[in-house]
Amino acid sequence: MRKTVILTVNVHGLGPEAAEAPEAGLFGRFAHGRYTYRIGLWRLLDSLAAQRVKATFFWPVFEAERCRALLERCLADGHEVAAHGNAFEDHAGLGDGEAALLETAHARLAALSGIEPKGFRSPTGTLSPATISILDRLGYAYDSSFLDDDAPYSLAGDGGPRMVELPFAEGLADATHFRRRLTQARAEAFLVEELDALIDADSYACVTLHPRADLGVGRAARLLMLERLIARIRDRHGAALRLCREVAEECRQGGSVIWDGRPRS
Amino acid sequence: MTAAVSSSPGAKRDATAAAGSASPASRWPGQARVVACVTVHVDGPAVEAGKGLAPLGSNSRGRYAMRRGVARYLDMLARHGVKATFFCCGHDVEHYGQLYRDIDAAGHEIAAHGYQHEGWDLGDAEPALLEKTHRLIIEAVGKAPVGWCSPSGRKSRHTLPTLARLGYRYDASEKDLDEPYFPEGEGENPSFVILPNNTVSLDDYPFYATGQALACEVLANFIAEFEAIRAAEGYLHLTVHPMAGGGSGTPARAAAVERFLAHLEGCPDVAFLTLAELAGHCLAHPQAFGGGPA
Repeated sequence: MRKTVILTVNVHGLGPEAAEAPEAGLFGRFAHGRYTYRIGLWRLLDSLAAQRVKATFFWPVFEAERCRALLERCLADGHEVAAHGNAFEDHAGLGDGEAALLETAHARLAALSGIEPKGFRSPTGTLSPATISILDRLGYAYDSSFLDDDAPYSLAGDGGPRMVELPFAEGLADATHFRRRLTQARAEAFLVEELDALIDADSYACVTLHPRADLGVGRAARLLMLERLIARIRDRHGAALRLCREVAEECRQGGSVIWDGRPRS
Repeated sequence: MTAAVSSSPGAKRDATAAAGSASPASRWPGQARVVACVTVHVDGPAVEAGKGLAPLGSNSRGRYAMRRGVARYLDMLARHGVKATFFCCGHDVEHYGQLYRDIDAAGHEIAAHGYQHEGWDLGDAEPALLEKTHRLIIEAVGKAPVGWCSPSGRKSRHTLPTLARLGYRYDASEKDLDEPYFPEGEGENPSFVILPNNTVSLDDYPFYATGQALACEVLANFIAEFEAIRAAEGYLHLTVHPMAGGGSGTPARAAAVERFLAHLEGCPDVAFLTLAELAGHCLAHPQAFGGGPA
């Protein structure tokens, strides 16, 4: 089995805070997100380009509207642009309005990026019982919001007969550790521990990054940590860094999702 | 402000890149590669007072700063010949005037940090509280502060206009860039500059209070951050708290701070500045920080 790692970036700027309070009042500790626009995402893109890594960027419409130049740069660098909701809504609480919101967000991101997104990740982590079927109807090939497996599987049982789940691992997400205000060295140790074990288990790992300075890797010092992590993925594990849409497409065979030679429902 | 910044991140970034990569040394006084600003957030019993607590028993962590922490830092800074910026709460200055006169007499900068370290929305009461702390500092040390850092990082639409009216020259509360910048509307001859602080990687309190780090781990983090800053913008903004509890007032953690200062001292391309000195430099050379004549 070819070892596969997907590098995913949740493009979070001021969006999470702006969903809670008027944007004009976001200063200081509530404005860490502005770092994403001013320097963090530029730096992350520079770093990935220097390392010749293609990643999958989950873009909320809120953030895509605010940094068009960065969205263009992201596309020009060959990264995948995937959907990440509208403006950090809680999908478990949208009720009957969810389908319209997802349709509008899908159309807007497609218009801004010029490409129909094939993948989705919940902006706040939550999904409703209807989310996957709405995404399936809109033509999505995969979701990456679940935490319940170590390898891709079919979403047929969750309302998405044409969709693949590319689960992510909380332990392999920068924000999990930086939210706890760990030192960088400790956060790196946690990430390495998770990465090594996941690849050994099922030849699959999903790394999740944020361009913010507080919860993410947008800082100059933390990008060096990302460089070491990518070197480890390539050199120690011999794993391929792939785009989510490629992985989703390859593991769909007939009506099934096949991973490591086995159908996964 | 928000809309303007968000709509043109490319322009901002281009300015940043030009200033950051062409000849960064030329931006700082003395052709230094890194400008290091040591800030001491005194956070004495004002913090407990702000929570309605008497500074007694287990609520005396702030009083540690008054009894031991500040003196320990004054000794340490003197050993290394470093001038620092002390962010002071009005309530502490009101009750421990001599300690603040000692800080001032040692040549350090006294700057403002709330009255009782108010980490909540003050509403329309904010301007009066900013004025109260301003007045208390003038009464205690005979000098008007020119800098302010929000206790806990909160600000409102009242904050900068009030600070400007009182004659302040900088705010050290933002976290959205790794170098000084001018607020929107400062024009060709700016009189006020934002000196962002680094609560993410160069602040002792979150690592100890939330991250449960050892002092040696915090020191390693500070050094890694310094090395990355040295290769990038060259602006190092350190924050330490001389209190007990989550601060670095106690011996083991103060020793880690001292080792960090020694590490910086061993690097000939580092210049130590107070924030007031840095603000003066930025305001005198606005074109090097994205301001000045277009």
